[in-house]
Amino acid sequence: MNITLRLAWRNLWRHPRRTWLTIGAMVFSNALLVFMISLQLGMYELMIENTLQAFTGHLQIQAPGYKDDQKMRQVVPDAEPLAEKLRRNLGLETITVRSATFALLSSEDRSYGVQVFGVDPRYESKVSSIPGLVKEGRFPAGRDAQEIVVGKVLARNLQVSLGDELTLLGSGRDGSFAAAIATVVGIFDSGVTDLDRSIAEIPIGFFDDVFFMEGAAHAVVIVTPGLSTIDEYRLAVDALLPAAGDVVLHDWDALQPGLKQAIQADLGSAFFMYAVLVVLVAFSVMNTQLMSVLERTHEFGIIMALGLTPGRLGRLVILETSLMGLTGLFLGAVLGGLITLWFTYNGFSYPGMDQMAANFNLPSRFYPQATLLTLFLGPAVVFAGSIISALYPALRLHWLRPVEAMRAL
Amino acid sequence: MQYLHLIMTLAWRNLWRNHRRTIIMIAAISVGAWAMIFMTSLMRGMVNEMIRDGIRALPGHVQVHHPAYRDDPSVSNLVSMTSTEIDALLSGAGIDRFTARVRVPAIVSSERESRGVTLIGADPAQEVSVSAVGTKIVAGRNLEGPADGGIVIGRELAEKLETEVGKRIVLMSQDPENEVADRGYRVVGLFEATLPTQEEAFVFAGRKTVQDMLQIDDRVSEVAIAGDNYRAVDGLLAAVRDLMNDEDEVLPWTELDAYLGAMLGVMDGFVLVWVIVIFLALSFGLVNTLVMAVFERVREIGLMLALGMRPSSILGQIVIESVLLLVLGLAIGNALAFASVVPLRGGIDISAVAEGMEMFGAASVLYPEIETGDVILANIVVLTLGILASLSPAWRASRYEPVEAITKV
Amino acid sequence: MTAVRCVDLCKTYRQGDQDIKALDHVDLEIGRGGFVCLSAPSGGGKTTLLNAIGGLDIPDSGEIWIAGQRIDRLSKGDLAALRLREIGFVFQAYNLIPVLTARENVEFVMQVQGVAASERREKSQAMLEEVGLRGLEERRPAEMSGGQQQRVAVARAIVSRPALVLADEPTANLDSKTSDELMELFVELNQHHNTTFIIATHDQRVMAYANRLVKMLDGRIVDDIQQQAA
Repeated sequence: MNITLRLAWRNLWRHPRRTWLTIGAMVFSNALLVFMISLQLGMYELMIENTLQAFTGHLQIQAPGYKDDQKMRQVVPDAEPLAEKLRRNLGLETITVRSATFALLSSEDRSYGVQVFGVDPRYESKVSSIPGLVKEGRFPAGRDAQEIVVGKVLARNLQVSLGDELTLLGSGRDGSFAAAIATVVGIFDSGVTDLDRSIAEIPIGFFDDVFFMEGAAHAVVIVTPGLSTIDEYRLAVDALLPAAGDVVLHDWDALQPGLKQAIQADLGSAFFMYAVLVVLVAFSVMNTQLMSVLERTHEFGIIMALGLTPGRLGRLVILETSLMGLTGLFLGAVLGGLITLWFTYNGFSYPGMDQMAANFNLPSRFYPQATLLTLFLGPAVVFAGSIISALYPALRLHWLRPVEAMRAL
Repeated sequence: MQYLHLIMTLAWRNLWRNHRRTIIMIAAISVGAWAMIFMTSLMRGMVNEMIRDGIRALPGHVQVHHPAYRDDPSVSNLVSMTSTEIDALLSGAGIDRFTARVRVPAIVSSERESRGVTLIGADPAQEVSVSAVGTKIVAGRNLEGPADGGIVIGRELAEKLETEVGKRIVLMSQDPENEVADRGYRVVGLFEATLPTQEEAFVFAGRKTVQDMLQIDDRVSEVAIAGDNYRAVDGLLAAVRDLMNDEDEVLPWTELDAYLGAMLGVMDGFVLVWVIVIFLALSFGLVNTLVMAVFERVREIGLMLALGMRPSSILGQIVIESVLLLVLGLAIGNALAFASVVPLRGGIDISAVAEGMEMFGAASVLYPEIETGDVILANIVVLTLGILASLSPAWRASRYEPVEAITKV
Repeated sequence: MTAVRCVDLCKTYRQGDQDIKALDHVDLEIGRGGFVCLSAPSGGGKTTLLNAIGGLDIPDSGEIWIAGQRIDRLSKGDLAALRLREIGFVFQAYNLIPVLTARENVEFVMQVQGVAASERREKSQAMLEEVGLRGLEERRPAEMSGGQQQRVAVARAIVSRPALVLADEPTANLDSKTSDELMELFVELNQHHNTTFIIATHDQRVMAYANRLVKMLDGRIVDDIQQQAA
């Protein structure tokens, strides 16, 4: 095997320029793939985490049908005791209750219809990033305080500041008229205009009172320690739910179907592009190896006359391709890794990206990270493609007959 | 020029000396060209559709507002002219596709549910001319005029509110004194829009009816004007700016929806980058092919030089060989691309990722669109860069010393 | 009139770590219409001398005159033009362009010279017939025997009426019968068109055809014999 290896390696370097050009094609594609895949996978992860951390959480317990219809009367009964039970049994503090409704918020000069959320001040900050984004003032103090927190753009539109009063008008759980007055104690700035314009939060007890919830809420929100732990927590939570079955457990995929699908759509188009790159490299390899085989016809003829089988020669060709492929794989992974590293420190951005990014909860400058997966996934596929494309030239040797071969120039 | 004929003959015949290699190279270029055009046609189709939809939703290519309106879309920030004045000015200038509408946030309540919406008060005939959202009626009828007392809502919204044509709903908003302004409307029709969120967000009533409800005389919140070509709105923009009062803000769609505006530029950039990436992947193989071809012909190049042919003719031969390869590959690739797009004209159904596409602002059916500009760009880039890439092996070939070349074994 | 005149030619090559004197103070004069054989064992310098005379290689020192024109200090472009107009080559092998037919190979030089198509056709047809290849005009080199290929090369070398034809071991790859036929062709063309022939060889049979034999050894001319051609 050792001699064959040396022979294969030396055969590659009989035509250095040709070999380098072929390896060059591999290195180019591999470096590009490494960079692109690092960028993509990193962005996806960030997109998911940011969106979920902002508000949705990883799991939510809701009434059946609430996810699609969002009707006021679709509630999780006795939500707070349930949340407490989960906190105790799972040992997780990142669990809270929430209710939601649409209400008219009026200041002295303006009125706006917004989504009003009833949240538990003790636990909301562990589950959502919004409490942490209160830049002026503070988050409400207790679960019954008649206080309200609004987004920066909403505050501006309503022309209110800290200490001002807002009137809430809406309908309660039973459809009846609901009204209340709350004091603005905090203004949050998330940087996402949609959030800052259309959301207000009040304490859950206050919400319960005003909208006649009677101890029920619309969701119990759970954040697990990481995306990878969701499944195990899902099972645990399921086991703790009341057997009566008036509630459903959803994971983020069901709550934000758009998120996973947007990623799938993006992956789909990216996959197509990567496939094209792999195919083009494969063509390059096929051409090179075909030429390399054809020009050695005479030599192979002699070797076969000496007793070697076409099979062994075919394996030699595959071995040569593998050596070339491995060189291209490693050099490409290194180059791709270096390029990614540069962007890890300097950030990646392109003109128009800030508008695109805002739509997906992404920052306007992204810092990709190369992982073992992103470093080798692309190059591995290119390598496989190269070996496959070398099969054609290798198989041609099967039909080679020594005497004819030796007659070749 | 007989000489040129000779060189072309030599180039063409030399191409087919090693027909396997030539065929593989042409196949690779074809695949590359196909991928370039096919991919960009899919992306263009998606983005063009997105932009057209987005412009429909704005609506219009140009809009006029009170300068504070976009931040604070309340009833206090109205366009300075009345709708009668606007009608007269624009029609007088030959601009006949526009709509002057009232557009304010409101809360809609049915018997069971409430929702936050955007209330549009407009003249249905004008709305149709600008083909805004809400003009595709699928149940009942459209509004009959600006004084119609009915309301048209989206199908999705009707479901959420558990209401239907013929039933009554209440709309609540504020007047300029921040007093609650409400009115009951009978649902006269349901509309369908490309994106479900649009069906839930907008409700349409007669302009006069809404103006009365809000007590704003003949004023409007925005004027939306449609042009002929979304890529060229400068002329329209200037014309409208001239006609409107200076105190009002007149903006083109690229600024009104920064995301959409960015899409066009991002798309153009993407096409160029994709074409260049594919070319680079091909270039290694192309240069390799030429290098191998030149290497195999060293002796006869030496012969031609010895016989007195000029080095520039040798360079010309190699470059022309490259051009022939490229032209053949491009021709086949272009043909394949057209052939594969035509059967897909009916649209590719990607409803499996519909919500994901909605996050992008795109519909769930992809209509590929081949844009001439893109095709020309792809072909020119490949041809030009290909010629450049061939210069190196061609130059080296022309630099051969006849003596050395001839005596090479 | 002197066709070729070489004065004190010197050329040294470096091979590995040795200096090889390919031309060592060579003086030679050949009159128009001459039929000269340059003979030497391998490495004797005959190819180098031939290349120098043909404007393919510039000597380190000395002068070369072709048809009254000094060529040893000409630019590459001028040398190319010289080869095009004045000199015909027949090499030992790889004389023809593989993708062109016999006729196209013969027409090649004329085409580069810019001769009109009809005139080219006439001349190439006449030439091919003269060398005995009537009927084989549309064949490619791969479809012809070694002897036939050499004949095409000769036809090409002569067709534009050069002053000089240089042949480097033209019969090395041919069998004896074909060699004879080729040499007889050379002689006939030399007599018919009065073209000067200089043939480098180490084949005795070929040498017998010359009326002047110039022997070289280690880059110097050691013998210059007038003889009766066979």
